[in-house]
Amino acid sequence: MVQLSGIANDTIRAEIEEFLERPEEIERNVELFSRASPEMQDIAAALIEGDNVTVDRLTSKALADGVHALEIMDDGLIAGMGIVGIKFREGYVFVPEVLVSARAMKAGMAHIEPILAASGVEPIGTVIMGTVQGDLHDIGKNLCIMMLRGGGFTVIDLGVNTSPDEFLAAVKDSEARLIGMSALLTTTMPNMARTVEAFKDAGLREQVRFMVGGAPVTPEFGEEVGADGYGKDALACVALAKQLALDVRR
Amino acid sequence: MTEEQYPRLSGEWMTPRRRFLSALYGGRVDKVPAMTLSSVITLEAMEIADAAFPEAHLDAEKMARLAATAHENLGLDTVMPVFHSQLEADALDASTWWGTKDNWPAVDDHVLTDPDDFKVPSDYLERRSFRAALGAIRLLRKRYPDVGIVGKVYGAWSVGFHMVGIENFLMDTILDPDKIRRYLEVLLPASMMSAHAQLEAGADAIMWCDHANRELVSPDMYRDFLLEMHQQIQAEVGGPSILHCCGETTDRIDYFAEAGWDCFHFESQVDPVKAKEIAGDRMSLFGNINNPTVLFSGTYEDCYEACMTVLNAGVQGVAPEGSVPLGTKMEVLAALADSARDYSNAHRPDGRFVTHDPPVAGSDS
Repeated sequence: MVQLSGIANDTIRAEIEEFLERPEEIERNVELFSRASPEMQDIAAALIEGDNVTVDRLTSKALADGVHALEIMDDGLIAGMGIVGIKFREGYVFVPEVLVSARAMKAGMAHIEPILAASGVEPIGTVIMGTVQGDLHDIGKNLCIMMLRGGGFTVIDLGVNTSPDEFLAAVKDSEARLIGMSALLTTTMPNMARTVEAFKDAGLREQVRFMVGGAPVTPEFGEEVGADGYGKDALACVALAKQLALDVRR
Repeated sequence: MTEEQYPRLSGEWMTPRRRFLSALYGGRVDKVPAMTLSSVITLEAMEIADAAFPEAHLDAEKMARLAATAHENLGLDTVMPVFHSQLEADALDASTWWGTKDNWPAVDDHVLTDPDDFKVPSDYLERRSFRAALGAIRLLRKRYPDVGIVGKVYGAWSVGFHMVGIENFLMDTILDPDKIRRYLEVLLPASMMSAHAQLEAGADAIMWCDHANRELVSPDMYRDFLLEMHQQIQAEVGGPSILHCCGETTDRIDYFAEAGWDCFHFESQVDPVKAKEIAGDRMSLFGNINNPTVLFSGTYEDCYEACMTVLNAGVQGVAPEGSVPLGTKMEVLAALADSARDYSNAHRPDGRFVTHDPPVAGSDS
């Protein structure tokens, strides 16, 4: 039986008790938050509640008090967003709630990112992200980008309506070897296949790894278009990117 | 009068239009209709009709010719000329990218930040998107008096996505719900005017698109923001109503039925058996052939099998789940009508009406 008593923040304890069901996730989060300082727990709780003003204030205060930016990011912002991600996956919250929490995370990251960039912390890898051609939906992609950045990746965001040529150009212009393609429309999903084909035609397919996602996209469709992996949500996207990053480093 | 003098009707004796409308209301049909409700336009169809995207979005004649391929070349019981989803938003000054031959149009800029700034323009129904769509419906009505014509309307919720931006709109459902209610209130007349105009031009029914699916919002949010408004629509729309909501919707089908929609056009994420169980006799169901895997990447046989699965679940009509990818092959889409014909031939025990019950033992069907 895991002990919640090591967690000072009432909201975090209640969130774990009420919404987490998988034993390994309960154990991981209890361990994480028991280790985190009360200040970091407060940041995570405010983020879960979508309170961007409080996240902004607490992050700023923690930095002023000498807390390391990485600690705030890992134990406060990402830890809180992790709970939101699990609640989203399990259907306890939906896109609006996630967007409001994402807004709070952005408020915190606005303080953290410049510090991390200046300190020369090496990213895990670089990911090129874009919504495929003909598709202007970017909520899912933007959530993935936020979590990837939080997860230690550098992200090149190509935005929406991204043609195969634009993906190709971005790979040629950068050292990125990971590509994430998003689509919300069944009418535009075939453009994922066109993009993979364009890389084959350019002789670059073996050098990169493709991740696909989006509401109508399935693992089977991902396989069919020749992608290297499918992510159901932003959390899965980060896990997949970490796995594929190892692959392209070999 | 004897039966010899007046032979019983048998086989396919309804017009496609009558069949479509009867099925929409959950009534008797000689054959289960196979339909286009969202677009079935493909690159092949553009060649056949000599009318292509993007011109066909804003040219009534080209739009009508292209829409007609659904009946002429695929044997479907309906045609649906409003291929895109920009009809209302473009006429409300949202910035529209009209796409290319092989790419769909989209709204690429959002113009509204305050519901109190919104007003339906006085020439709303005369603007380019409406001129084309209403013109196409009139042409189709004249050319195909016996074919069902489906009009398509984006409801206030989905027009709100276009006008306000989906991210801002969805966040405000939590941060400022009263503002969202006000958006819905001011945008509803624009959707209602679109529906009335399409019905007046000759559409037989309106497919009303409001995307409040599980991938976006909770069922409670549908209940709190849309249920009452959708009930109001039934009283005012003035024609048969079909709701379209993308994605996974199983947990809100009960609300859709409560809203009074005549029919629900559902997507492949929803199990048709479960949908039927929930909707019961309160609302007809049309759907739900998967686009990417079955229609775009699959074969004629895959489509035929998928259609039989959904027909066996007892839905009132078969149709693609949403607008099909433009590279979809027409030979695959042909299985929609073929499967509906074969299913009906096997489920018409008295030779006259299709029944979803198993055929009567000993009948020759």
